[in-house]
Amino acid sequence: MSPVRRGAALPIHNRIGVLRAERAMTRVQLAELVEVNPQTVGALERGDHFPSLDLAFRICDVFGLPVEAVFSRTPFEPLSTELYSKPTQRGGEADVQFDHAD
Amino acid sequence: MSSSTTQTDPTLIDRYQDFRTRRFLKHERTYAHSLPRWRTQSRRRALVVALAATFGFMAVVSVMCAFGIRWAPLLWLPACVVFFPLWIVLQIVSGRQGDAPQGALDEYEMQQRNSARSIGLTVTQYLMLLPIFYLIFGAVITGGTDVDMAYAGGLMATTVLLIGGCLPAMILGWIRPNPDAQL
Repeated sequence: MSPVRRGAALPIHNRIGVLRAERAMTRVQLAELVEVNPQTVGALERGDHFPSLDLAFRICDVFGLPVEAVFSRTPFEPLSTELYSKPTQRGGEADVQFDHAD
Repeated sequence: MSSSTTQTDPTLIDRYQDFRTRRFLKHERTYAHSLPRWRTQSRRRALVVALAATFGFMAVVSVMCAFGIRWAPLLWLPACVVFFPLWIVLQIVSGRQGDAPQGALDEYEMQQRNSARSIGLTVTQYLMLLPIFYLIFGAVITGGTDVDMAYAGGLMATTVLLIGGCLPAMILGWIRPNPDAQL
């Protein structure tokens, strides 16, 4: 055991519930794939339990995604927002450059 | 960390833990579908409350024995008659998570089991002070001649050990959510 005191507990947010729903996968099915109890999957989704690195990698393998796509220190935005949000700043700059070109 | 993850050759402890795990999983398969109506959180909590009431009754019986009531020891028998079915049913419906070997649990279950065991150990340590001080001071005051005191002290110690031994399973039975809510 490390002699260093544990720091403040930092949250680990995850997208397990969303990714599972996308694939029409039940908690029982995911639990079987990562070899844990279905209640453990529920605890992960509720944020009651932060997974070990081993379990995090196993979950990411099931979804075929990198760790940063499934787990994050900051709360995730909805996937639809991230994918289809309006490109405000870049679009405006492009318009300005286009006007200058004329 | 498990020694099996750091050593190539399994030690005697590893082999014993493997044996315990195999035996646990075999029993788990045997009783996995027993008493399905008692596996809900509300039923498990009812069992925990009933067990707590039984322990309270046992504690009262031990105190009655300390006061020298002649028929008080007989009350221990009905307490045991109630205790054993309650305990066996709680163990079955909670999957014996309180005393499960490490290899039969995942990391979240292990974390919960360790926390529950830690609380059980702490409660046992504090409660055990009561019969200890009762016996020490009682023996000094009476010169060790009071038979009722020795008997009552034994019952108090038994009650405390039962509480401490059952507390992890009681805690886990209380906090685990309904299985159906997880699907």
